[in-house]
Amino acid sequence: MSAAVEHNAPEVQPYRTGLNPNLMGLIIFLVSELALFGAFFMYYGHMRFIGKVDYPGAFHIPANETSINTLILVLSSFTAEFALLALLKRHNAGVFFSLLATFILGSIFLGLQVHEYMILGFTPQDTAVGSIFFSLTGLHGLHVFVGLVLLLLAMIRTCTHKWTPEKHTGLLGISVYWHFVDIVWVILFTVVYCLPGTVTAPA
Amino acid sequence: MTTALKPNLARCIWTSALFAVLAMLVAAAVRQILGMDPVVQWSTLVVVAYIFGAVGFIVGIGGFDYWWPWIIGKDIDPHDHSQHGAYSWRDYFKFNTDHKVIGIQYIVFTFIMFLIGGMFAMIFRAELANPGYQVLSDEQYNALISQHGVIMIFVFLVPVFAGIGNYVIPLMLGAPDMAFPRVNAVSFWLLPIASFTLLSSFAFGSFDTGWTGYPTLSEQSPFGGTLFQIGVIIAGSSSIATAVNFLVTIVTMRAPGMTLFRMPLLVWANLATSALVVAATPFVAGAMFMAMFDREMGTNFFTIAGGGSAIAYQHIFWFYSHPAVYIMVLPGFGIISEVIATHSRKPVFGYRAVAFSSAGIAVLGFSVWAHHMFASGMASWLRVPIMISTLLIAIPTGIKIFSWLGTVWDGVVRLTTANLFALGFIIAFTIGGLSGVMLAVVPFDVSITNSYFIVAHFHYVLFGGSILTIFAGFYHWFPKVTGRMYNERLGRLHFWIVFIALNVTFFPMHYQGLMGMPRRVADYAPEFGWSNTLISVASFALGASTLIFVYNMIHSARHGKPAGANPWGGLTLEWLLSSPPPVFNFPVTPRVIGGPYRFGEEGARHAIIPEPEPAETEKVGA
Repeated sequence: MSAAVEHNAPEVQPYRTGLNPNLMGLIIFLVSELALFGAFFMYYGHMRFIGKVDYPGAFHIPANETSINTLILVLSSFTAEFALLALLKRHNAGVFFSLLATFILGSIFLGLQVHEYMILGFTPQDTAVGSIFFSLTGLHGLHVFVGLVLLLLAMIRTCTHKWTPEKHTGLLGISVYWHFVDIVWVILFTVVYCLPGTVTAPA
Repeated sequence: MTTALKPNLARCIWTSALFAVLAMLVAAAVRQILGMDPVVQWSTLVVVAYIFGAVGFIVGIGGFDYWWPWIIGKDIDPHDHSQHGAYSWRDYFKFNTDHKVIGIQYIVFTFIMFLIGGMFAMIFRAELANPGYQVLSDEQYNALISQHGVIMIFVFLVPVFAGIGNYVIPLMLGAPDMAFPRVNAVSFWLLPIASFTLLSSFAFGSFDTGWTGYPTLSEQSPFGGTLFQIGVIIAGSSSIATAVNFLVTIVTMRAPGMTLFRMPLLVWANLATSALVVAATPFVAGAMFMAMFDREMGTNFFTIAGGGSAIAYQHIFWFYSHPAVYIMVLPGFGIISEVIATHSRKPVFGYRAVAFSSAGIAVLGFSVWAHHMFASGMASWLRVPIMISTLLIAIPTGIKIFSWLGTVWDGVVRLTTANLFALGFIIAFTIGGLSGVMLAVVPFDVSITNSYFIVAHFHYVLFGGSILTIFAGFYHWFPKVTGRMYNERLGRLHFWIVFIALNVTFFPMHYQGLMGMPRRVADYAPEFGWSNTLISVASFALGASTLIFVYNMIHSARHGKPAGANPWGGLTLEWLLSSPPPVFNFPVTPRVIGGPYRFGEEGARHAIIPEPEPAETEKVGA
């Protein structure tokens, strides 16, 4: 394969839809992620609201502590947005520190979740509700972890000055992903921790 | 660079082994640090090895070579086409970003899987030829029927349409490639991993649950059952990635003038299918994850002793797997519309109705899942609404059948092999559709559930439906892909053997089912002896006919007479290009000026490709 062959792609102008294909691809992917969460929510609803199965044994669902944790994650969505605002003002240090703040808030969230796992008083192996509680929160935790890795990559690219106000689809995509993780958590928190009757006292 | 470091299959071997071993070590080490038993059970570590081995394979084939500079914060060159296009046969075994190469990779690979899955069917038809036990034990029989189903569904029927779509859709849209060529390549290379995972379950005691893998039966099967779950998850992620790609391509990469209602119907069908895949496939992944956690991590999603619910698995599984039926047949509907219009020289009858019926099927497809569970003990109030919605879905399907008949009616019908398959499809699919309407009726379904009537129904839909459309598509676009004509006489012979053998194989199964012969059992009552012998003989003829097809394709690709750009007189964009198309498809942006099926209008054209300006094509290093 010669170099001439490699680079003779003609410039073809596609239909002008005004859409950013990368962002659109990400959003469609996030729809399918939402469906994956949907499968687990479907199981949760089936067990808790139709089957009326309760949490196993002596347990402690720290709803109040988790509310604070929810606030931390919601706050991190704002800091992720500050990164984009700073970029539009070409303030590279602002981008970096906003991303760093998001990263730290996300890490605190993940740490508190792991701490919660330790004080819950039941394990994934304790009955079906234990399994689905850990799966839902664990699946979300996995997404937070992936988000943290992406934020790390975004910070590396910020250091090498790769984002510009005109061309920053990567940064935009990472922030959209982070908002998605945040929104899923708010839904999860509402359904699993807050809906009346979800956290009943042990019998 | 030595061969072992370049992105190729040789590098895959050591990268997947390295990733697998490292992942096992890390998993054991993490458990050790957290004060748990480092090896909870050996099979859990094998699961970790399989999943990370798959990641290692993608790394080895070169899936991340382009993104690596981005990851470490360097620039990437969006005009790097070094992985694009096939210049020798070796390029088909590499990570290639050209949608035409990926399409061929998909089609050839999935067809090999079709042959393997068909071989399994031949083996268990030999067992079923006579009452009593011939060649297989009960366990082997169940393992083979399960593998047959899973291989055919997850690594043949679903991805082969992705392959045909990959080849044809960017050409039909006037696009240079798919929207995400590298994601496209990754989603192809996930398929060999999925197939390897599924087939390797034979080495671990296989799985004997049927393709549905219902708990609690699946929780008792050997370790092969876990490999089935991993294989389905990997195949599912591949089809989600392809669907995202198709959606973005179809929305953003249409040539100027290609409005939504000037798109060929194959594109419409793939638009609906991709939307279905994106919204539905994660549900099967969720069900498989939960079942896998139950088996390998001791969770209690579906174990009755732990308070779990086996019905919940069926709900989540069928919430995907009923839409999956449309995922496996909607693109075929699109192929049939193309083939019938082109070979009957008539505009598609009711173009908009067909386009909207695809969307209607996609939406309604989500409301009918529980008709697979009428006899399962689910909430009984769900039965009648699901029955009604299932009957409703016959309406958009009927619209399509009327459209095809209306298109053939009064047309100048040319009985080429492609068109024969399309016409045969209409007959076979209508039979399958009618038995589907019968099965939607609750009392009928409850009385014949799990009998051979079900087998007859879904083989009429999937073989008589999907596979005939696939053959129609293969014959229709063969001249475009290879630049040569296939042997028409052998093609017709292939069609008639397939069509007769298909009906002799699957039609008597209706009778068997009504008389009460249960499926998924290796032995049966002696009164079914003669009909089963007949079915087995016909199924061997069906298997043998595939050899004619393979010979025809391979021989014609090398020695067939040159086809020219447009052997069928098609109007859509792919027929305006040379056969095979140039590496970068269109030398200049085509312009779409009319509908895609303007047959019979004097001088009507769908699109034009303007004369390229010499300065444009000479530009090197753009």
